[in-house]
Amino acid sequence: MRVLSRKGKSASEMLFDAFIIIIALLVFLVVAYPLYFIVIASVSDSTLVSTGQVLFFPKGFSLFGYQEIFQDSRIWTGYKNTIIYSVLGTALNLALTLPAAYVLSRTEFRARRFLMFFFVFTMFFNGGLIPTYLLIKDLNMIDTMWVFIIPFSVNVFNLIITRTFFETSIPKEMYEAAAIDGCSHFGFFMKVVLPLSKAVISVIGLYYLVWHWNDFFTGLIYIRDNNLQPLQLVLRDILISNQVFSEGAGSGGAAGGYAQRYADQIKYGVIIVSTLPILIIYPFIQKYFEKGVMIGSVKG
Amino acid sequence: MAFLNSETKTLDRAAAISTPKKQTILNTFKRDYQLWIMILPAIAVVFVFNYIPMYGIQLAFREYDFSAGLTGGEWVGLKYFEQFVQSHMFVELMRNTILISLATILIGFPAPIILALLINQIKWKRAKKTLQTTVYLPHFISMVVMVGLLNVLLSPNTGIVGHLMGALGFSDVNLLASTKTFIPVYVLSDIWQHVGWNSIIYLAALSSVDPQLYDSAKMDGANRWQIIRNVELPAIIPTIIILLILNMGSIISTGFEKIFLMQNTLNLPISEVIETYVYKIGIISNQFSYAAAIGLFNTLINFTLLLLMNYIAKRVSNISLW
Amino acid sequence: MKRRSLLVLMSGVLVMSGCSEQSSEPETTEDGRVVLKGLMTKHPLTKDLSEMEWLQEAEERAGVEIEWEEVTADWDQKKGAMLAGGDIPDLIVGPNAITDADFAKFKGLFEDLSGHIDENAPNVQRMFEEKQELKELSTQAGGEIYGLPKYQRFWPETATRQFINQQWLDHLGLEQPTTWDELFTVLQAFKEQDANGNGDPNDEIAMDFSPVGTGGFGFFQPNVLLGSTGITLTDGSGQGTFVEEGEVKNFLVDDRYKQMIEFLHKCWKAGLINKEAFTQDYTKYQSVGRGQGETAKVGFTWGWELTDRFGNELAPQYTSVAPLKVTAGSSDEVSWSYDYNTLNYGTNFIQMSSATKDKEAAMKFINELYDPEVSLQVLFGSIGPNIAKEGEAYTILPPEEAEMDPGTWKWTSTWADHGPMYISDALDVTLGSDMQSVGSQTEAFQPALDAVDPEKDVFPGVFLKYSEEDNNTMSLNNTAIMNLAMANFSKWITKGGIDAEWESYVKELESMGLNQNTDIMQTYYDEFMSKQQ
Repeated sequence: MRVLSRKGKSASEMLFDAFIIIIALLVFLVVAYPLYFIVIASVSDSTLVSTGQVLFFPKGFSLFGYQEIFQDSRIWTGYKNTIIYSVLGTALNLALTLPAAYVLSRTEFRARRFLMFFFVFTMFFNGGLIPTYLLIKDLNMIDTMWVFIIPFSVNVFNLIITRTFFETSIPKEMYEAAAIDGCSHFGFFMKVVLPLSKAVISVIGLYYLVWHWNDFFTGLIYIRDNNLQPLQLVLRDILISNQVFSEGAGSGGAAGGYAQRYADQIKYGVIIVSTLPILIIYPFIQKYFEKGVMIGSVKG
Repeated sequence: MAFLNSETKTLDRAAAISTPKKQTILNTFKRDYQLWIMILPAIAVVFVFNYIPMYGIQLAFREYDFSAGLTGGEWVGLKYFEQFVQSHMFVELMRNTILISLATILIGFPAPIILALLINQIKWKRAKKTLQTTVYLPHFISMVVMVGLLNVLLSPNTGIVGHLMGALGFSDVNLLASTKTFIPVYVLSDIWQHVGWNSIIYLAALSSVDPQLYDSAKMDGANRWQIIRNVELPAIIPTIIILLILNMGSIISTGFEKIFLMQNTLNLPISEVIETYVYKIGIISNQFSYAAAIGLFNTLINFTLLLLMNYIAKRVSNISLW
Repeated sequence: MKRRSLLVLMSGVLVMSGCSEQSSEPETTEDGRVVLKGLMTKHPLTKDLSEMEWLQEAEERAGVEIEWEEVTADWDQKKGAMLAGGDIPDLIVGPNAITDADFAKFKGLFEDLSGHIDENAPNVQRMFEEKQELKELSTQAGGEIYGLPKYQRFWPETATRQFINQQWLDHLGLEQPTTWDELFTVLQAFKEQDANGNGDPNDEIAMDFSPVGTGGFGFFQPNVLLGSTGITLTDGSGQGTFVEEGEVKNFLVDDRYKQMIEFLHKCWKAGLINKEAFTQDYTKYQSVGRGQGETAKVGFTWGWELTDRFGNELAPQYTSVAPLKVTAGSSDEVSWSYDYNTLNYGTNFIQMSSATKDKEAAMKFINELYDPEVSLQVLFGSIGPNIAKEGEAYTILPPEEAEMDPGTWKWTSTWADHGPMYISDALDVTLGSDMQSVGSQTEAFQPALDAVDPEKDVFPGVFLKYSEEDNNTMSLNNTAIMNLAMANFSKWITKGGIDAEWESYVKELESMGLNQNTDIMQTYYDEFMSKQQ
């Protein structure tokens, strides 16, 4: 195994490695089992799942849940919409956040403390849903795709993360040196800072992307047109619907003994359907977290 | 810490180089106009979508009146704040909210840091990648399903954790049904769900550690544990402190949906928090003004705590939000 | 370059805002039908509104074409922003989708229909003439009519039926219980002996009930046992309200409620109640009732109907049990939960925006819905696939797929119970098998229900119209009251201790405004009853 590749390790080093492996294995099992459970539950009979008879292998195998999910034509529109919103939204988010974070990381920028406060203040104080709704309405963004992309396109948390990263890993002398060579802030930012910051750009990009991907609230409040609904709203609808109709009997009719058996299948199936695309993207982003991708070569 | 001090010194030097003359607003503006251009779009977006709607805050001091508009209702001053503070639920709500979020910070905050350091120690690339991908997945489970999963797995009759508890001789404990186990279940499941996701930022910070630092540490004969302590930890300290400040600024906030879904009549004495109360009051019975007042009350406490934490952090470590 | 794309986006927004002037003329289709916007909070199972034949026909007859927005989840959250933003479609349909409190809070947003009814809605007029109470149900304190009601006629007097596993009784040689003590003995036998005969004496759940929510009681929960003590629950009495001899009371502070909790605690201590009863969700409650193949797991429980509660396979094992007495010698007249009003009547099922451009057309459509034949289709589905019509007689047809149950079929096909309707008492209708079996399973409860005096023992909650202020007071009080009451309910059942804590509990509830609430309701109750004479 690669773990033991270096020769001549001391006993304590080996012990340390063994310790790391055991802990990592434990963490892996604890996290992986419930995930595995979701997968087998999505193809098993719901009654068997909720009475605890499905533990390690699927039972009462059926793909009814997936059939129900994919039968819903809204799913495909939802996928398309969400991909558009996520890609355009994330692009705008990064275009706004990265330069702003760079500016806020420049200690010589006099307004920096005031502006930081200006941004952080909005993490705490907001006008609430109603005035926001009225604003969006006045901007004629209700029932348009722009409501997913433009409002709140600067996330202050991400801004702070990025600024902190720039502060700690872009050496301050670099700009001075570049400035002497006639480099402007624009040029320095584009040619030096961005290439050096792949790790943070990918993290922040991932944060924004996933935020767009998971956002159902915007659609819930601001979208009326079925053709503009994002995936998460469609899935949430399917999901909550199954919760609701299981309570439906109380509303005066025997509703859904038939569909009941598959309620859980749908519930777990929805998770898999909505997570798969993000799962596929992750490895491409992950490689930027690998050690030593960046700074070392430049600093010296 | 040494790392940080050198950082601040270079900052001072940079400032000294670039400010030869006395600074006036005008000439710094002239010097920094490029910076202003770069930050202006972000300022505009935040101003329009965050600041303009803030006139709605006055709803907390007014009677909501649809026909007169948000700003036209009768001024009632602190009526709704008093109503909240004097309400029968106030003490219970505050206690529960603070207990739950303190527990979340105390146990939940260090977890992703430890995980990031752990992942960083794994040398076998495939194992490392597999672990990393697995632990971040639970983040995508929606709350409804997350709580459903808890119900299935923790059920004392049929769940796997229930079976495990039974095997250990705790067969009569229903983890979902007790005021004692509510917070542990809430916090641990939260860690389970988000620890991988939250560790991403630390992993990214670790990736920027200068390889030369590792080499020189090794030449000094440092062992693995010493490298973690003296090389890796200092590299992520600024991120840790910034996140800690932000976390402390949300101490009077808990998640809403998960707690709401986990509530049952047996854990209610510990699980009714400000957010669930506001939901029951504000959304179900349309008490907009009351809900706004409770929201503002929360915000003020949170913001005060943030200012305090930021001040402390600045004195102790010279790291600050602004 | 990135900034330039931002500018493009921003200017796009400005352009959009620039060209939003709308004409005040109503839109029409090519064939001259008026285009309206509608919103429906439908049941999750319900298919697309565009696939409902009866609805297409009704729209055509009214000369309108409606663009429907169909909401199945999170309506409460969506509604708040929509109403406060003053941004509503022409028609909103759904069970109490807009409440009386909303009408009071958002004055001017909804159209007062009273004038339009006289001019353009003969069906609504006829409904109000035939059933005076439906007019009361729709009229606000000031005389305005904002929302129109439903009347679905066929539903039974109670939602909750009490079931026992007859096969287990027979297997153990036991009689059906008639008192709480006998119930206790039977449950003990279920628990201790291998009642389902599968060789495992420990897998039987003697008693199970629907999960009790944190905001109050619901149907299929053990508070129906209060009927044994003479209390008539009305519409589930979720927050404790009931009426006795013309007096509004709350059982949460009643000694008979204490007595019931003591009994339930005794059962809990003996291990007779499902130990997950307070933590399981409704799905699990139902799944457990379905047992494993032919092996039943639950002995005694509550539900709507046998096949709905236990599934087709196990349903034959169970039977309804008549309401129990507390003890054989007890003098209390046994009662049962009386839910006729909430099952058959409903407020605010359809309302019109005051900004509707062609109100006459919208009203004509509303009128269509209350045509007796259309109403029947609102409830059961289109004539053809769902209903057979021969002369003047209608027969509700069974589901097309054999394995589907009639309930699901109804909810899938049409608006069902969520739609505005008036099922005239004059219609000749043969019901489907589900409604018939609900009827026969209610027989055991009929004597107790017949003994209920609607004049003196029923809280007519559906019909009362509270002022905005009273409504706010009551809901604020209730949030605190139910928090304390529901936590104590489950605590006392699982851990006991009611004797020591009862008095301080009652005091605390009273200080939270319990009596204030009861007094408010008494006022409205008296006023309502005086109008009935």
